[in-house]
Amino acid sequence: MRPFDYVAPASAQEAVALLAEHGDHAKVLAGGTDLIVDLKHHAGNVSLLVDVTEIPEFLGIEETDEGLRIGSAAKYGEIMEHALCREYTPEIVAASHTVGAVQTRNLGTIGGNLVTCVPSADSAPSLLVLDADVTVAGTDGNRRMPLTDFFVGPRKTSLAPHELLVDIRIPKANLGKPSHFLKFGLRKGQALALVNAAAALWLDDKGAITEPRIALGAVAPKPVRCPKAEAVIAGKQPSDELLKEAAEMAVTECKPIDDFRASANYRRQLVRTMTYRCLKRSVEIASQR
Amino acid sequence: MLVKLKVNGELRQADVPPETTLLKMLREDLGLTGAKLGCDVGDCGTCTVIVDGDSLNSCLMLAAKANGREITTIEGLATSADLHPLQKSFEELGALQCGFCGPGMLMSAKNLLDKNPEPSVHEIKDALSGNLCRCTGYTKIIEAIQDAGRELSGAAAGN
Ligand SMILES: Cc1cc2nc3c(=O)[nH]c(=O)nc-3n(C[C@H](O)[C@H](O)[C@H](O)COP(=O)(O)OP(=O)(O)OC[C@H]3O[C@@H](n4cnc5c(N)ncnc54)[C@H](O)[C@@H]3O)c2cc1C
Ligand code: FES
Ligand code: FES
Repeated sequence: MRPFDYVAPASAQEAVALLAEHGDHAKVLAGGTDLIVDLKHHAGNVSLLVDVTEIPEFLGIEETDEGLRIGSAAKYGEIMEHALCREYTPEIVAASHTVGAVQTRNLGTIGGNLVTCVPSADSAPSLLVLDADVTVAGTDGNRRMPLTDFFVGPRKTSLAPHELLVDIRIPKANLGKPSHFLKFGLRKGQALALVNAAAALWLDDKGAITEPRIALGAVAPKPVRCPKAEAVIAGKQPSDELLKEAAEMAVTECKPIDDFRASANYRRQLVRTMTYRCLKRSVEIASQR
Repeated sequence: MLVKLKVNGELRQADVPPETTLLKMLREDLGLTGAKLGCDVGDCGTCTVIVDGDSLNSCLMLAAKANGREITTIEGLATSADLHPLQKSFEELGALQCGFCGPGMLMSAKNLLDKNPEPSVHEIKDALSGNLCRCTGYTKIIEAIQDAGRELSGAAAGN
């Protein structure tokens, strides 16, 4: 790697100030599993790394009055073992378990995954179906936005260059919402997703589906929700035909591309099968309650 | 920058440029060449070390980030008197061939057994998914880890 300086500020304001001062030449470092690889490959013009993993508000996982707060610098390994995540958001635990290997998960952070914003980011779908919000720190303090607005396109988020992702919040109403995550890669271990998918829904006291959510990754320029497929099942009694109809609609809502890992057509088949399975499993979980 | 850490129980330090990885510092500044440089980008696992109780890729971690932490490398497994039970099982069962993956395999195996003393085959495969071996086909490695797990938990139970 080309030479650079390293600082680990103790507050978001310090970090933001450093980024504002150094502009393009400064980069934010969390676990480094994306950034250090990039620096080794491309060796861009980077003169300063600002490590955000020592900023208290970026760390930890906790329950608040509003719901669950996951610090952006929480590592996958930490999420997988955390009692609150295991109880309230098992699909986030399941998604975390599919990232890389043990060694990647003991370095990599959930915030780093969202900021890198590749379409296949494995933490995205399960957060999208739980209506997650994110907190962003900038020169004027903090602001909140829905995760759907955070993703802009391949490797592009709505963060301004000097802004930081502080944490991720799951609303209280969605803790424990019946949900399921699936990832399909070319190998069982250490493979990027050809498609990843998640669903979440409730069944009301008459057994009808309410607040259905479906999200897909690696089949559009960014991780996406599927509002039309959600509309197919909202308010209806779940049946195999209905869930298959929703899965069919999800296929029309994604825009997969051909690349060296798989063809667009293969990815569409995966979307159909995985959306159906995620919905079916979510309904099963909901009806066992 | 000055990086101070505890490696295999011993306080060590070195003055390294900020872009130095933990792997490079261990190998070139501290003379601990057990952890190997394979892919250099987090894929192969031969650089695996344990930092504060968790295994990770030392090729992706800056030495600066390891400042003040406790590191265990392959050199920390054996005592002057004896090999670690994992090393014994690997040797007795012929689990390695060229051995280049060995330091990383053993550290991943140690990390697993520290947390889960009697893992299933599925759990062992999951724990080794970040360690590539181009020689053995993994079967004997998995057997050796089960064997060492049995020995270690037997020893803990006092028989
Ligand atoms: C071997 C290997 C396997 C992998 N497998 C997978 C996989 O299966 N699925 C998957 O989705 N990903 C995978 N990845 C990619 C990577 O591990 C994840 O995206 C990880 O979550 C990145 O987090 P990090 O903390 O390491 O990020 P870093 O590399 O530290 O940072 C990533 C990017 O985000 C920025 N950034 C980080 N934190 C913040 C913040 N708080 N505010 C603003 N900007 C920030 C950085 O500037 C950088 O641009 C893999 C990587 C490796 C090396
Ligand atoms: S050298 Fe670190 S994973 Fe290959
Ligand atoms: S023994 Fe040669 S790579 Fe594993």
